Amino acid sequence: MKRHWRLVTRYFAQYAKVRLAYKADFIIAFFSSMAATVLGFGFALVLFTKIPRLQDWTFDEVMFLYGFSLIPLGFFNVVSWNLYDFSELYIIEGRFDRVLLRPVSTLFQVVFEKFRLESLQEVVTGALVVGICARRMRLEFGLGDLFWFVVTVACGAAIYMAVFLILTAVSFWFEDRVGIVPPVFNMLNFGRYPLTIYNVFIQFMLSWIIPFGFATFYPTTHFLGRSAFTLYFHLIPVVTAGFTVLAIVVWNRGVANYSSTGT
Amino acid sequence: MPPIIEVQGLTKEFRTFRRREGVLGALQNLFVREYLTVHAVDHVSFSIERGEMVGYIGANGAGKSTTIKVLTGILSPTGGRVISNGFVPYRERRHYTKHIGVVFGQRTQLWWDIAVIESFKLLKEIYEIPEPDFRKRLDVFSELLNLKEYLHTPVRKLSLGERMRCDLAASLLHNPPLLFLDEPTIGLDVVAKERIREFLKEINRTEGTTVLLTTHDLSDIEELSRRILIIDKGRILFDGDLEQMKNRLAQYNQVKFFLKDRTQIPRLAQIETDGIVCQRVDELTYLIRFDREHHSSAAVIRQIVNTLEVRDLLVEEEPIEEIVKRIYLKGEVA
Repeated sequence: MKRHWRLVTRYFAQYAKVRLAYKADFIIAFFSSMAATVLGFGFALVLFTKIPRLQDWTFDEVMFLYGFSLIPLGFFNVVSWNLYDFSELYIIEGRFDRVLLRPVSTLFQVVFEKFRLESLQEVVTGALVVGICARRMRLEFGLGDLFWFVVTVACGAAIYMAVFLILTAVSFWFEDRVGIVPPVFNMLNFGRYPLTIYNVFIQFMLSWIIPFGFATFYPTTHFLGRSAFTLYFHLIPVVTAGFTVLAIVVWNRGVANYSSTGT
Repeated sequence: MPPIIEVQGLTKEFRTFRRREGVLGALQNLFVREYLTVHAVDHVSFSIERGEMVGYIGANGAGKSTTIKVLTGILSPTGGRVISNGFVPYRERRHYTKHIGVVFGQRTQLWWDIAVIESFKLLKEIYEIPEPDFRKRLDVFSELLNLKEYLHTPVRKLSLGERMRCDLAASLLHNPPLLFLDEPTIGLDVVAKERIREFLKEINRTEGTTVLLTTHDLSDIEELSRRILIIDKGRILFDGDLEQMKNRLAQYNQVKFFLKDRTQIPRLAQIETDGIVCQRVDELTYLIRFDREHHSSAAVIRQIVNTLEVRDLLVEEEPIEEIVKRIYLKGEVA
């Protein structure tokens, strides 16, 4: 464990050094990432000033949810970079052989070899939005709430990770991932708005199939004091653990398949 | 001591399916697949003793890389048994990798964007190499491989030869008893090849590292290993001493001679008796190849010097490239 932590910090330091060596490149990446966040948020802001209420959700509540959703997403984005072209870089180009030759878990190597540093701005932006909305609503944030905030953010990031790991692991069997990633990626946006505005089918899907609801919506209901979803809130760690285990199992199966087919 | 590597009946089959062409074919591919089984490695057995340097050769697609991948734990075999340094590579991969060094000539094991020394430091953490050992080996390798000047250069800016030297050093930082090299000299110039060979010999001598290398360059094998394994179509065709192979399988010797001057040219015809044919290399240089069973070198030389005035004369064995080429073509060792 200690060794892995040291390795992560090493990988991170190395990677940061490389990114910062190309300052212009990094600055452009940072500003385009920032622009995307600000534009998305601006759009939501404009949209919801026209709609004073979304079902029984106030403007501030909707914005709180939107802001909260950015935080786990930001953390996920920082470490998910290698998953996007995993099939291209690791399977087709054959880098995965190198990963297999090292005495460290394959998953660990793939996830922590590359970071999208600029995505940390999403975490900061999200936290700011959450802070402002909480003030406007005069939400009481006790120590307990703070604890749950950290836990649910971590769970949210883990849920995103688990879902995308499963999708990435598909490339151990099929070289071309038949385009399932982009639609699922778009579903991330669904989690930015109250789940209750969708039809039953989508609600079910976002809870139990691709559980993005547990990453954004259910945690938020707790902080906003909406007791209707208390049960779901308590299930967050369970769902997170379940999907994480599933992702690890699928990944390891994928690695075993890679070893037997060598594709 | 038991052998460091024991391979018994190693078999690796790949199942590929025939891809049909066109849109309709692609649709058909989804539902009905015609599988083809390819035996990349077919009942291969050999063992390697501690401290040996073994050359593993074969034509493209003969099964060399597949064997190396099974031995390094990347691939699991379809059948057979492999014990390497006390491990079953594909079952205990993560533990096992601490005990081996691997270099693929075709692609680097280092991180592309960071300086060589930083890559080494990452490897130090990954393999949990103690600081004093790391320092010591880094010094030794920098000296032997002449790495000092570009330790601080990013890998992507290195030439192929420099990169290869860095890759070699990287593969040995954790002092593994076993080193696998897959075409380590591919694309290198003569000087770079020589440096790498010298380094390997030195490491083998001082650390007793066992080395298994695949190559297409037979001079690697002549320089480095006395033992040679030839694989073709997944089967081992020859396993033994290089000298022994030459003695057993060389069919002809050749004599190259340089005429004193042009006046000698008309007299060449006189020595072309008893199945001996002169081949022209250039105006004054000629070559005679003769079957080792029918002619002795001494007799051929005598005939040449008795008939012609020559400036110089060289007797050569059949080059091992030729022997190996014949083995590949025949698909067996006769």
